Amino acid sequence: MKSTSRRNFLQSVGGVLVALPWLESVGMAAGNSTVAQRMVHYYVPIGVVRRGFFPGEADHVIPKGNLGNFFRSLGEQDPNFAVKPLEQLTPTLEPLEPFKHKINLITGMDRAFQQGTDVHAQCASCYLSSAKPYTIQGSAWPIDRTLDHTVADHVGRETPFSTLEFSCNSHRDNKESIHFDNISWYGTGHLAPSIRDPRKMYDRLFGTGQATQSREVTDLVLEDARDLKRDLSYADSQKFAEYFDALRSIETQMKRLQRMKTELATVDFPEPPETYLPRGQYIRLMGDLMVVALQTGLTNVATFMIGPERWDTPFMFEGLFDKPRSHHQMSHNQTKFIDDLLRVDRFHMEQYVYILNRMNSIQEADGSSLLDNSLVTYGSGLGDGATHQYNDLPIVMAGGGDRVKSGQHINMPEGTPLANLWLTQAQLMGMEIDSFADSEGVIGSLTV
Amino acid sequence: MARYPFLLVVLVHSLGWMNISGVVSPATAQDPVQTEASGRAGFEKKVLPVLRRKCVRCHGGTDEVRGDVNLAILVDQSALVSDPELIQDLIRVIDLSEMPPEDEGELPGKIRSSLLNELRQQLELSVARQDRLGLAELRRMNRFQYNNAVKDLFELKSIVFTLPERMMREHGNYFKPASGKMPDHVKVGSRPLGKSQMIEKRLAGVAAFPQDLRAEHGFDNRGDQLSLSPLLMDAFLGLSKSILESPDFKPPNVGIWHDFFAAPEGAASIRDELSRRLRPFLTRAFRRPVSDASVNRYVDYASRQIKQGNSFTDAMKQVAGAVIASPRFLYLYSTSPRADASASGGEAVADDRVASLDRSADLDLASRMSFFLWGSLPDLELIEMAETGQLRQPEVLQAQFRRMMSDHKLKRFCDSFPSQWLQLERIISSVPNRDKFPGFYMSKYRHSMHMMLEPLLLFEAVLIENLPLTQLIDSDFTYRSPLLRNAYDGSGSGGKGGGVTVLNFTRQEVTDRRQGGVITSPATMTMTSGPERTKPITRGAWVSTVIFNLPPEPPPADVPPLEEKNSAAELDLTLRERLAIHRERADCAGCHEKIDPLGFALENYDPIGKWRDTYDNGREIDVSGQLFRRHQFSDIVGFKDAILAEKDRFVRGFAGHLLSFALARELGPQDQSELDRIAAATIADDDRIQTLVREVVFSKPFLGGVVLSQQHLTTSP
Repeated sequence: MKSTSRRNFLQSVGGVLVALPWLESVGMAAGNSTVAQRMVHYYVPIGVVRRGFFPGEADHVIPKGNLGNFFRSLGEQDPNFAVKPLEQLTPTLEPLEPFKHKINLITGMDRAFQQGTDVHAQCASCYLSSAKPYTIQGSAWPIDRTLDHTVADHVGRETPFSTLEFSCNSHRDNKESIHFDNISWYGTGHLAPSIRDPRKMYDRLFGTGQATQSREVTDLVLEDARDLKRDLSYADSQKFAEYFDALRSIETQMKRLQRMKTELATVDFPEPPETYLPRGQYIRLMGDLMVVALQTGLTNVATFMIGPERWDTPFMFEGLFDKPRSHHQMSHNQTKFIDDLLRVDRFHMEQYVYILNRMNSIQEADGSSLLDNSLVTYGSGLGDGATHQYNDLPIVMAGGGDRVKSGQHINMPEGTPLANLWLTQAQLMGMEIDSFADSEGVIGSLTV
Repeated sequence: MARYPFLLVVLVHSLGWMNISGVVSPATAQDPVQTEASGRAGFEKKVLPVLRRKCVRCHGGTDEVRGDVNLAILVDQSALVSDPELIQDLIRVIDLSEMPPEDEGELPGKIRSSLLNELRQQLELSVARQDRLGLAELRRMNRFQYNNAVKDLFELKSIVFTLPERMMREHGNYFKPASGKMPDHVKVGSRPLGKSQMIEKRLAGVAAFPQDLRAEHGFDNRGDQLSLSPLLMDAFLGLSKSILESPDFKPPNVGIWHDFFAAPEGAASIRDELSRRLRPFLTRAFRRPVSDASVNRYVDYASRQIKQGNSFTDAMKQVAGAVIASPRFLYLYSTSPRADASASGGEAVADDRVASLDRSADLDLASRMSFFLWGSLPDLELIEMAETGQLRQPEVLQAQFRRMMSDHKLKRFCDSFPSQWLQLERIISSVPNRDKFPGFYMSKYRHSMHMMLEPLLLFEAVLIENLPLTQLIDSDFTYRSPLLRNAYDGSGSGGKGGGVTVLNFTRQEVTDRRQGGVITSPATMTMTSGPERTKPITRGAWVSTVIFNLPPEPPPADVPPLEEKNSAAELDLTLRERLAIHRERADCAGCHEKIDPLGFALENYDPIGKWRDTYDNGREIDVSGQLFRRHQFSDIVGFKDAILAEKDRFVRGFAGHLLSFALARELGPQDQSELDRIAAATIADDDRIQTLVREVVFSKPFLGGVVLSQQHLTTSP
């Protein structure tokens, strides 16, 4: 990897990044001659402004301020199942225009909130898990192994990283707990932490896969771990499995990175600078890193948090506002900040579209695009930042190529669990399962 | 979804922990059959009639289950004792006079106290029946503990990596707990806002792993928040290597160099030498005696390194790197059954098995003590006391506790507990409007870098001087820098600020009771305000959470928040009037009735904590209100008096914070009687803080499997 000046770096985040030549390993990663299937979850915190996002709601009531634990929509949603061609896009969805034929807008998906935590605390943390409420012992959060890891168990068996977790949370204060900063969990209480710093992510991906410790050292500590496990109570030894898991993952990760060393050396990705980046550039740089990881077969599954849930500390949204703004605080006063919130929503959508564009421009071995071989889902754990509703979530699913019927607005009947979509995706990713979390079925309209 | 989600919120988070009457003797170990019988009788005589008369109409009557709390199902005692959380909630709402609600007619005092006493007995019975052993205790060290443990293990002269979570820097060794006195002049620095604070002496080339986040209403050491991922494991493996390979890891910086890393001079067997050095090192790193097998594994590893041509020192570095990547180093765990389990054992166990379990329990206790008070490993003396079975002698435990409280390492406790208890990191993101509060800013810096140190220094003084906890509410002294004196004393006697790296703070008397204590400190007042205006509800929630340990749920208000600037129609209203307009829902009012007065009481402090008599629009500030529906106040001094009148609740609330920190877990119904006991013992000793800390150490959940070898000591520390 060659080092870079700030100037040629900025060129790359401007989207000039040269498309990588197709790499041998991409095909190999799937373990056969077909191209690997990938999955990306792009998470938007604090919901959206409904009027700007949902078709037919442009004239609905603006929630007057913070409705706290209000939990339901103010306006009327279509409670019935409907599939329509995606025609006129709403203002927030407008940036998706070039991808209209490759996406599905899915409305009417609901989640269940489990009493016992703050309303925001389950938005992100339980988004990809949706365990049946009250079924997880000893935790206020219905968190189980999340969809990304479940799917990676299936499609991530050959890649160095079974999943990668990205977060665009650049806050330096320690304001919120882990539940506001993560959507990815190995299991209940077992966090899959994200990387926020592009340089750290870069090191992880291209840091040559050098062992951080010698084999002998890991053997030695493994012996200690086996000894220790015998001394532990049942509950503690269950939790302690995380240590073995971690060592094992590191080992396979190292082996696979070594195997890919030659190919990875040909990747022309400049090292991210240490300097401060305006928010948009920072997000797109993280997006570039994710795309290159998917393209090269470093991973097949990634989660991408555009920002942390709640977290009142203001962000500087360069180009949107001239002063730092708190997305969460604004969301509690939609009456006043509706225009600004719509700009934030649109900004988040533009970054999603940036990623879609990047993926669409990358051609794979069989001539299809990286996007065609990926399910890239935009979504939020709240249906609206002011009503704090867990119903009628804003969801857009892109990609999937021929296997997915696209260009539709699918409205699911009231009360359809979001997990139905996750189950559908798991099946599209090749898993033979018939339920996931609190799912009740699949979304048939998505599949061909 | 519940039919009345709001009501649940109102009920549940309005609940308090408090035991107003102070001590309640725990249900004594009687004949179980007799206890069962009297429990049933007590329920039928003292609880059921009140429930029927006062509660079930709303909570479980024919068609109403308000707040999702159904009390109609409590038809007999077994239904009640099967739900300790419910009993705990009932105790709280009844104790704080929140239920029955005003329009239902209050319970007569006598009935209330008899009901409370009976519910507490029922809680004891209920907890005794619960199997609470199902939850994991095991957790990895957090970043702060890891740094300290590595530093102590190698006796490093510098820190390992910079820790932003430490808010205050000590300069010139002012912190001398053994002296029992804080000096009048101290030199300190502030981490987050002073640039040079990052340039502490540390090991070059060592990068920290990410800071651990704090639990909601909890601390950053909580087991349920601390797990290990491949990403972090990778970081730990890399860390242990980079620490030992740091150019600063050399003889003058490493206290154990000579005894551990330096090549031996004699020609004794290398294996013997390795084993002689590794055994005590492993014992310290793992906080327990190590088996011959595991010593041998490490000896084997080192001798292989030497055989492969590495120098003795390099081989020892390799071993040391492996040791600090071992789970026995990284993880905190107990190997002994907990007290509640061992007490109910009953089966005959072989003597040597008992002795070995006892030793495990003693060693677990030693670790618990050191991670609580030193944020780090126990030293060899503590380990030895545990290993030899002496630690379970109350006078030895007491002496060890005293020794730990006098050690400079107590600073780690002061670097972690008080700032998290006070939620002080919130001040890092406080940015008052520069145009409105120009005085808050000084070139690139903010006054907050001085402010945040004041409550921390007060806490340290209270702790090492063993003062009453009430000093934290209404102190007669404080520590201030010239800048703070200038800005907040109103005397203009301070002079200008001085440098930004080392700040001089001086102890001064507080005679004006509007100042003093943590609540009215500029730091608290600033971090609970927005950029434009104060936030009484935020302040009230802070007081409720921090001072009384009654964290309210986040705002369940179905109302717009206040505009930062008054709209034309509201221009002439006071903040209180404006808030009243914005808050009309009765079910919100229920909760806000309790929180808001605690915040409005502080309205005389503007968004940067300066005193004001009127609002910008000229209207008088009305701070009057009542605390716990009992104590009226009309100014800040009256408010402090009201809190002092309820100081027992503060002491018990504080005990809850401290016990939760000490145990690194959330507290539950099973801890309530111990909290009563800790609070009562502290109150009986004039609210002295060290008594409270000691009582936490001597508490049942903290002792874990250790059964003290004789009657509990009653002398104060």
